[in-house]
Amino acid sequence: MLILAIDSATPVAGVALLTEEKLLKEEFSNYKKTHSETLMVMIDRVMKECECCLDELTAIALSIGPGSFTGLRIGMATVKGLCLAKSLPLIEICTLDAIAHNIAGTRALVCPLLDARKQEVYTAFYDVEETKPRRLGQIMACSPEQFVNAALSLAREQERDRLILLGDGFYSYRDYFHKMLGEKMQAAPLHLGLPRASAVGSLAIDKALEGDYADPLKLRPLYIRLSEAEYRLGKGEL
Amino acid sequence: MKDVLILGIESSCDETAASIVKNGRDILSNVINSQISIHQQFGGVVPEVASRKHIENIAGVVDKAFKDAGLSYSDIDAVAVANAPGLVGALLVGVSFAKGFAYALNKPLLAVNHLHGHIYANFLEHENISFPAICLVVSGGHTSLLYMASRGHLKLIGETRDDAAGEAFDKVARFLGLGYPGGPAIQKAAQQGETGRYKLPRVFLDRNDFEFSFSGLKTAAMNLWRKSERQGNASVYDMAAEFQEALVEVLAEKTIRAAQEYQVHTLLMAGGVAANQRLRNMMKERSKALGLQLYYPALNLCTDNAAMIAGDAHYYYINGRFAPLTLNAYPGLWSL
Ligand SMILES: [Zn+2]
Repeated sequence: MLILAIDSATPVAGVALLTEEKLLKEEFSNYKKTHSETLMVMIDRVMKECECCLDELTAIALSIGPGSFTGLRIGMATVKGLCLAKSLPLIEICTLDAIAHNIAGTRALVCPLLDARKQEVYTAFYDVEETKPRRLGQIMACSPEQFVNAALSLAREQERDRLILLGDGFYSYRDYFHKMLGEKMQAAPLHLGLPRASAVGSLAIDKALEGDYADPLKLRPLYIRLSEAEYRLGKGEL
Repeated sequence: MKDVLILGIESSCDETAASIVKNGRDILSNVINSQISIHQQFGGVVPEVASRKHIENIAGVVDKAFKDAGLSYSDIDAVAVANAPGLVGALLVGVSFAKGFAYALNKPLLAVNHLHGHIYANFLEHENISFPAICLVVSGGHTSLLYMASRGHLKLIGETRDDAAGEAFDKVARFLGLGYPGGPAIQKAAQQGETGRYKLPRVFLDRNDFEFSFSGLKTAAMNLWRKSERQGNASVYDMAAEFQEALVEVLAEKTIRAAQEYQVHTLLMAGGVAANQRLRNMMKERSKALGLQLYYPALNLCTDNAAMIAGDAHYYYINGRFAPLTLNAYPGLWSL
């Protein structure tokens, strides 16, 4: 099995190539340039340096959101182009699942947070006692306050005395979270704090084994939120 | 010489389109997935909604372009995509898809300016267009006059100071309750109305340059409409007719003047507003009277489509002007 994994859901761009046993190469970039300028070049570099061609791939795994709408679409359009041209299977991975997968083997409640702008975060809660994360409940778009309340009540209910926070949404509201959660809160180490394409790929292996593939003709990003115009139309403001 | 087959991809506004064109002339397929019915409920194109439809539709539209042409993916020689100008989030869907698709097929990528594509739509259907020429580009986002020394050499000689012609059509149509898109809606209403009953200004016709302004015309139309409503003698048909006439007359007159000043014998029209029947007729009459050769694309090639992108790209292909994998999208770049 050979999986190419791609993530462009946040300001981070990531590309990884892996088998079931081995992470062959990973590129992570969180520096200035836009995804449309970097992503395809990173894909090309990863493939070439591993002397691999697209025909050898089992599937392409993609981080489908939530995240930045434009970032998600750049990644998805690129992957749709690659998959359609080569009839390659496409595997969709939730971005929050992938970030939660940076942490494993702890009883702590793992809370990936993505900056959703408008003073909100995208988040979900995870149990990561086993190697793979298990999502507890729904993915939410909510205010940092709502997140704190939900996290504390779930931790209490499940008797978990620690919360591990990570993702760019954590960094955006770090001081606030620190104030509200105090000793209970733990930040992920720097190198595990943001989405990693290797984590997307790792989660995709199980899906590939099950043949759980997405249709490139129909797949959409996981937006969580409606567009502003649709939201206003729904409220009768347009 | 071997035939050159180019896949064109277009996603700059509210149409997801793909087309395969042979040798820059033969349109083998021309798929257009229009989002008009979706944006109608918002009264205009909503960029985020457009981008969401593009990412949903892009792979299916491209696949259909191959099916319609009876070709397999590897039969093409290059992938061309419109990367400017337009809604940047919308453009990025086409650009990113084109990169992935071209890369996977190991074919060159070609970047095409959307407006240049509109101009090129003329060359898809007409051979031996002679230069120099004056080209009127009229669409939802642009109203410009260009001097074309040759096929690839364009010089901007005038443009709108405010609203584009298509934008003015949209705004006035919405104001009059005629719906979206405004151009076709006003043209239809105008057929039942008469010009001259309302009197609207022919803006900038008194000036000797090639600038346009439609914002004032739009305001004048709105004020006149409100007044006639108060007086109880309003006719939406007459207003549509007069508004269309006032706008079209300025476009036609300035284009003809440009032809005379630059001493050209060829006139081109391009863009969605070039589909307007009144503009086409007026331009036909005036150019005929002066012995000028007038070209405009067929109706389905005036509005946004990917055949114009694939056709224009042929010229870049034969000149080896390929785009890198770092290709980006730009909202407002002429780069002609
Ligand atoms: Zn256009």
